[in-house]
Amino acid sequence: MSVLQVGVLYGGATLLAMFSGMPIAFALGLVATAFMVAFMPAAALDTVTQNVYEEMSSITLLSIPLFILKGAAIGRSPAGKDLYSALHVWMSRIPGGLGIANVFACALFAAMAGSSPATCSAIGSAGIPEMRQRGYPGGFAAGLIAAGGTLGILLPPSITMILYAVASEQSLGRLFLAGIGPALLLVAFFAGYAAWRYRFETRRARTTRAGGGIDSALLSTESYTLRQRFAALPRVLPFVILLTGVMVALYGGFATPSETAGLGAVLALVLIAVIYDTWRPRQLDPILVNTIRESTMLMMIIGMSLLYSYVMSYLHISQSAAEWIVSMHFSRWVLLAAILVLVVVLGFFLPPVSIILMTAPIILPPLKAAGFDLVWFGVVMTIVMEMGLIHPPVGLNLFVIKNIAPDIPLSDVIWGVLPFVALMMVAVVVLCFAPEIAVWLPDKLITTTR
Amino acid sequence: MKPLERLNRAIVFLSAIALLVASCVLTYSVVLRYFSPQPTDWQDEFSVFLLIGVTFMSAAWVQSQRGHIGIEAVATLLPPSADRWRQRLVDVASALFCAFFAWKSWTLLHEAWVEGYVSSSSWSPPLWIPYLTMALGMSLLTLQILVQVFRRP
Repeated sequence: MSVLQVGVLYGGATLLAMFSGMPIAFALGLVATAFMVAFMPAAALDTVTQNVYEEMSSITLLSIPLFILKGAAIGRSPAGKDLYSALHVWMSRIPGGLGIANVFACALFAAMAGSSPATCSAIGSAGIPEMRQRGYPGGFAAGLIAAGGTLGILLPPSITMILYAVASEQSLGRLFLAGIGPALLLVAFFAGYAAWRYRFETRRARTTRAGGGIDSALLSTESYTLRQRFAALPRVLPFVILLTGVMVALYGGFATPSETAGLGAVLALVLIAVIYDTWRPRQLDPILVNTIRESTMLMMIIGMSLLYSYVMSYLHISQSAAEWIVSMHFSRWVLLAAILVLVVVLGFFLPPVSIILMTAPIILPPLKAAGFDLVWFGVVMTIVMEMGLIHPPVGLNLFVIKNIAPDIPLSDVIWGVLPFVALMMVAVVVLCFAPEIAVWLPDKLITTTR
Repeated sequence: MKPLERLNRAIVFLSAIALLVASCVLTYSVVLRYFSPQPTDWQDEFSVFLLIGVTFMSAAWVQSQRGHIGIEAVATLLPPSADRWRQRLVDVASALFCAFFAWKSWTLLHEAWVEGYVSSSSWSPPLWIPYLTMALGMSLLTLQILVQVFRRP
């Protein structure tokens, strides 16, 4: 059989196994081993478990459970609510400040917790009711939180970026830094949109009132005294400590990226014990149990995805596909656009973790040949995969929102999210024209190539 | 409580402790580097062993909660009777794969034990330790899926 035929068969078998509803980890493992039995020498089968172990036993990959632990510790504490109310108190003067406060709270929390769904539920459970009470449309409030939560996989420490660094053999430290600029760009976009939307909605509310309609909560103003403002400040302190502690350790050269996972988890647990009095085994139990549930699920997918791409490269499928793409002589931007469309389509069905590990061996060599900076592409790919988190049908964040605000109709949530998807697309285009937004910071801070 | 359930609970408890220990070990190596910039090597590998153990040993418990996610888009389109058959088929296929993986883990463990494989670092701990957690964990996972196939409402 030719490589092409085997490749098509491999792809077909994968689709079938995936859509049968089989757990992603077992589906990938089953397809990989079936093709090993059919097309590889028997000796290769004997080393299958050793392969999986050797691919998985890197501390960079295995830091993922610890990053999840840190996120769960912060996510389960009232820290999100406190952060949100402090920002709210400080920004209430600015027109549209409530929406902007929500965007900032999402970004800060996401940087801390490193997880999109955790950010959505922590900030959203306080922010969505508050915004709706103040007259913001439900769909807009939901869209803002869903989009804000996705910043989690762009800001360090992002699990998605850890995997990309492993798959593309790029420096994780550089990649983490490269995500910061684009994340700030998105924060600015989201905040700008929130402010614009606020003006639009208040104007409409005024017209309704002038026409004798009902008075909207949007038009009422509130103010906080200076004392109230400063009383809110200490609540933000734990976040500042955790963020700066981890960043200083990482970029001061005291810790490798994987060690910051352990350090971050310990710091987070100490902080919630000291500040929120959460230290009894009964209180820690849900944090640890949820961490195990999420990280084991994820690590099994990662392990089997690695086996899957090992088989794909052993059978020369990935190399041939990559060579074929290169031989098409697409122009740079056509190539980039085609690959991003592929990532978007995969994002309809698959979590970012599997997309990266399954496609990296095929899409990265042509991109490198076309002269793209792979660190830059990692950031762009991450933003594109973020879109997958908030658009149907898988859109994980949409379901989180549905859980915390069940009375907002799903169609409203989806319409509310669409402007943010558009903003992300704009951000991708901006990054294509100004790659410095991503690579300036790592170039500035990391002089020696690690 | 059924024996398998009780065993899974115990493993989750041990896994939770392993997670905490791994976090502390990595933190310790950061602190150590702050005071003396001498390279130390056992911390990373020790954490790798712990976290590999957590991943494979708790896989059966996660399966008992149906926590290994799959794409359910097609499943929701099927009529309930067909979906029951699909679910059973999927479970049998998953069990087959896990059983194969478990079997190969046991042979790998045997090989590592007999040949005395050690890790290639300077600390060089024996590799049968992580292989044992892989073999035990995947066997338990297979058993768990089979229990779910046969104990269906």
